[in-house]
Amino acid sequence: MTALLDCEQLQVRFRTEDGEVCAVNDLNLQIEQGECLGIVGESGSGKSQSVLAMLGLLAGNGMATGSVRYRGREILNLPRTELDQLRGDRLAMVFQDALSGLTPTMRIGEQLTESLARHRGLSRAQAKAKVLEILEIVKIPAPETRYNAYPFELSGGMRQRVMIAMAMLCQPELLICDEPTTALDVTVQAQILRLLDGLKRHTGTAIILITHDLGVVAGLCDKVLIMYAGRAVETGSTRDIFNNPRHPYTAGLLRSVPSLRGDISADLHTIPGQPPNLEVLPAGCAFAPRCEQAIAACQLSAPAMLPLGGGHAAACHRIDAT
Amino acid sequence: MSEPVLQVDDLSVHYEVRGGGFLGRGRQQLKAVQNISFELRAGETLGVVGETGCGKSSLGRAVLQLVRPAGGRVVWQGRDLCSLSNKELKPVRKDLQVVFQDPLSSLNPRMTIGEIIGEPLRIHEPELSTGQREEKVAAMMERVGLLPELSRRYPNEFSGGQCQRVSIARAMILQPRVIVCDEPVSALDVSIQAQICNLLRALQRDTGIAMIFITHDLSVVRYMAQRIMVMYLGRLMELSSSESFFASPLHPYSRALLNAVPEPDPDRPISSYGEPLGGEVPSPMAPPSGCVFRTRCQHATPICVSTVPILEQHADAHEVACHHWQRLADTGENQ
Repeated sequence: MTALLDCEQLQVRFRTEDGEVCAVNDLNLQIEQGECLGIVGESGSGKSQSVLAMLGLLAGNGMATGSVRYRGREILNLPRTELDQLRGDRLAMVFQDALSGLTPTMRIGEQLTESLARHRGLSRAQAKAKVLEILEIVKIPAPETRYNAYPFELSGGMRQRVMIAMAMLCQPELLICDEPTTALDVTVQAQILRLLDGLKRHTGTAIILITHDLGVVAGLCDKVLIMYAGRAVETGSTRDIFNNPRHPYTAGLLRSVPSLRGDISADLHTIPGQPPNLEVLPAGCAFAPRCEQAIAACQLSAPAMLPLGGGHAAACHRIDAT
Repeated sequence: MSEPVLQVDDLSVHYEVRGGGFLGRGRQQLKAVQNISFELRAGETLGVVGETGCGKSSLGRAVLQLVRPAGGRVVWQGRDLCSLSNKELKPVRKDLQVVFQDPLSSLNPRMTIGEIIGEPLRIHEPELSTGQREEKVAAMMERVGLLPELSRRYPNEFSGGQCQRVSIARAMILQPRVIVCDEPVSALDVSIQAQICNLLRALQRDTGIAMIFITHDLSVVRYMAQRIMVMYLGRLMELSSSESFFASPLHPYSRALLNAVPEPDPDRPISSYGEPLGGEVPSPMAPPSGCVFRTRCQHATPICVSTVPILEQHADAHEVACHHWQRLADTGENQ
């Protein structure tokens, strides 16, 4: 069966004053209909750039190579006119900062009906009815009033609901959310997560959720991809990743997160050192300088993804040995 | 129980806000902190938690007199800091230090790391020779996990985590008695957050410094603080020992906050969480009458509209400001 989205050997590079920087390297991922994939990583891990590349949204100095197939059709580096047929319709995206995703001088209603007119050719009245329906679904109180409001009149949580409504209007098959709740308060975050969970269950929309929050991933995602310094280091079902992490970075990350239940008498586990500078990546495994299990081989070559069964895979030279 | 080092009585912070009226020329008063009292004990960490606009940062700043409170007292070594002039406050500042959230923007980009960490010494201990100062800076850098040979570098050459270490070193170099940390780990990556939390805990163990740790993150505060204060729209909702708070939170808002934290546990999907708290925080320009939380509280009754709840004692180290806490605790309704 062809995956809904199949990304192979994706590489993203940026030209900078100091030469070329490779932000994403040899990334492979698949997502099926109705699935929720979490992409987890710290700043500079390439988690956002990889999805921006898939949707053709890289900054001007960025280049993507490799292959991204949507239902078997190659979409990487398609001309803009062709991409625009897919974006906002079959493939939609929600960004972290909802305010900059909305046009400040346009009423909410106008912004929302735009994509319906463009992709579905609906009349004004039809589009408005559809928009009010979707505002209801994303639980915006008094949708008729909000329809005529400007973005600045809405709170942060409300704007993020509008962004999700906008993304869901044409019933996309894939919704990509880049840190959708990071800027929100915890009680509002809970509402938005509940909303995304409901969309996944009731519409069959596949979701790629980019986040640094392992709690959000555990609550919402079916499978997880962990990235470090532009590469995938581990992927698997959410249970495999949380209960049986095999890459030392994944294991270290999970142990360093304070939780509401963990032991508080001992120090938190830490991963020593700093995330690497992408401009001067070490030869070999990028995590090796911070890895307590590193051996000589780790300095020499970047480890390949090793399948561990059941869709679980990790890229670490030590996996055979341990 | 150790003695209080800092006593805060009935503290309020108000801001004059432009807006409202014709062309936004009117002035309105924003009550960021209202009538908050607590004491900070030697060697303890008091965690102050709440969402955007609850007044937690204003409270921290008012304690340090970085904003001047509209009312109330902050008693430090027998003196009310609110009554002191800025000049009189200078020697006090040596003992009361602060670490902010954004590590890079709180460091002067034109000063070297060594100059930044040594600056408080230059101001408060001018009798030290350059050599003595550099020695102290080097020792402090080592203590917070920075290589002393980096002292001639500039902040922009450092990562977020390293900049936060610099901020902590600058705050600790005068050996203060109290430190206010305002979201010190919120801007950091997960793996770095743990390093900074551990560092702050170790510094407290070694020096016995008292800490006010302001955060929106309940998992982090549970790890950092011995006592927890929950704020909502400028008011104190619950003040408790950390143990009692996390075992049996009494205020409906505290419960809602705890329920909303996504746990890194794949066997607890979002759908299994309790119904999330509805609505959003009302505007602090026009807070609800009575209990400020009542517009989002499913237990609210007419008394919550008419009367501001006072802080009531539940147990030795557990106080709550809710008209219905006793009934909710008895009936288990507040689950």
